Amino acid sequence: MSLTINTTINGKSVSASAEASTSLLEFLRDTLEYKGTKLCCNTGECGACTIIYNGKPINSCVTMAADANGAEITTIEGIANGDKLHPVQQAFIDTGAVQCGYCTPGYIISVKALLDRTTKPTAEDIEEAVSGNICRCTGYTKIFDAIQLAADRMAGRV
Amino acid sequence: MDYFEPKTVSEALSLLAKYGDEAKVIAGGTDVMVDIKYKEEPGCLVNIKKIPGLGVIQENGGSLRIGPLVTIHEIETNNLVRERLPVLWESCHQFASLQIRNTATIGGNICRASPSGETLAPLLVLEAKAKLAFSEGEKTEAFASFFQGPGKSSIGSKGLLTEIDVPYPPQGSRGVYLKHAVRGAMDIAMVGVAVLVTPDAAKNNLQDVRIGLGAVAPTPIRATKTETMLRGKPLNAAMIKEAAAMAASESSPINDQRSSGEYRRWIVEALTRRGLEQSWKAATGKEVA
Repeated sequence: MSLTINTTINGKSVSASAEASTSLLEFLRDTLEYKGTKLCCNTGECGACTIIYNGKPINSCVTMAADANGAEITTIEGIANGDKLHPVQQAFIDTGAVQCGYCTPGYIISVKALLDRTTKPTAEDIEEAVSGNICRCTGYTKIFDAIQLAADRMAGRV
Repeated sequence: MDYFEPKTVSEALSLLAKYGDEAKVIAGGTDVMVDIKYKEEPGCLVNIKKIPGLGVIQENGGSLRIGPLVTIHEIETNNLVRERLPVLWESCHQFASLQIRNTATIGGNICRASPSGETLAPLLVLEAKAKLAFSEGEKTEAFASFFQGPGKSSIGSKGLLTEIDVPYPPQGSRGVYLKHAVRGAMDIAMVGVAVLVTPDAAKNNLQDVRIGLGAVAPTPIRATKTETMLRGKPLNAAMIKEAAAMAASESSPINDQRSSGEYRRWIVEALTRRGLEQSWKAATGKEVA
């Protein structure tokens, strides 16, 4: 059964059709060609598909495309300001927090959602914000450094 | 696959009556979407998120009424839950990841009826009740009898959970929810133990004690024999040791990829002991003698 989905993605109104069984992740990637959001575990466990849905980070792989109707969605493609990367993106580059890069869009979205909520995250806040994001290349130290750097830059502390 | 977004409970119930076992209710989708991708598509998906009024938390005298569409994160960030129902708060705080907590609903966690459902042992010790709607009418049922087996509850395929009524625990009581898993986040409990302790006025004896066990039986259970043994007694180290062993013997855990049944029994024993010690200290200000 095909449904018409009217939604807002990165500030742009979009209308497209999707099957009822389609996940929001499949809708974003395969129908709308937003390939920055990654498909990985497809069970809501790894965080590679994280997007911001009405202000909150969620796993798009276990959300129905139908639930995008009337919602405001932010993907990794929507956070840079023209050619200027979002401070979280820039901090990930500057600290070397990217290895294979597959988990990175999900991380950056989770961190952006955190720093939208608070500019002074505690270590506990940071851990909680990315507890649903898994990186299999490396340790998490550089990712944590990147988050701290992004927070400091956004709050004007450095 | 057919798809519906009913706007009322009765509209949803007619769809469930019409489609029978073919119908699947979906809310947050964190379990159902995985089934659709990895198991099979139901004949009909009934998305209940558009039914107004099912997503609110309301205080009602001595209890909190939680709508089934309230997300785990909304419970976690609700001040009344934090102050009055810390055992439930703790289980929601330890629930999966922030992304999942932002989507998953308490109604989904309950209706999924998984033995390891994070909120279920806390709901059992809080003596919460489910309000269920069927075509024939409504009924209220204690969670003590609601769960019937893995994935099975008295809601069947025709009913809808419309409210969760969680009474505030007795004055002076304290409780904890302890979860054992490999990772701090994003992990299913090998064992979950909820404990609620109410000391008597002199803070010498246990006036009431409730112990809920998750992931160690076909349903979440209360360790009722252990509770009966403890009630009215002073809580000392010997008593706690006996109670912890008894709680472990009341569990009937399976072997699976997360752990062996034998290991789970040890963990029930350890968490029951810790739960009783911590709750007693919080309630009385005294260490267990």
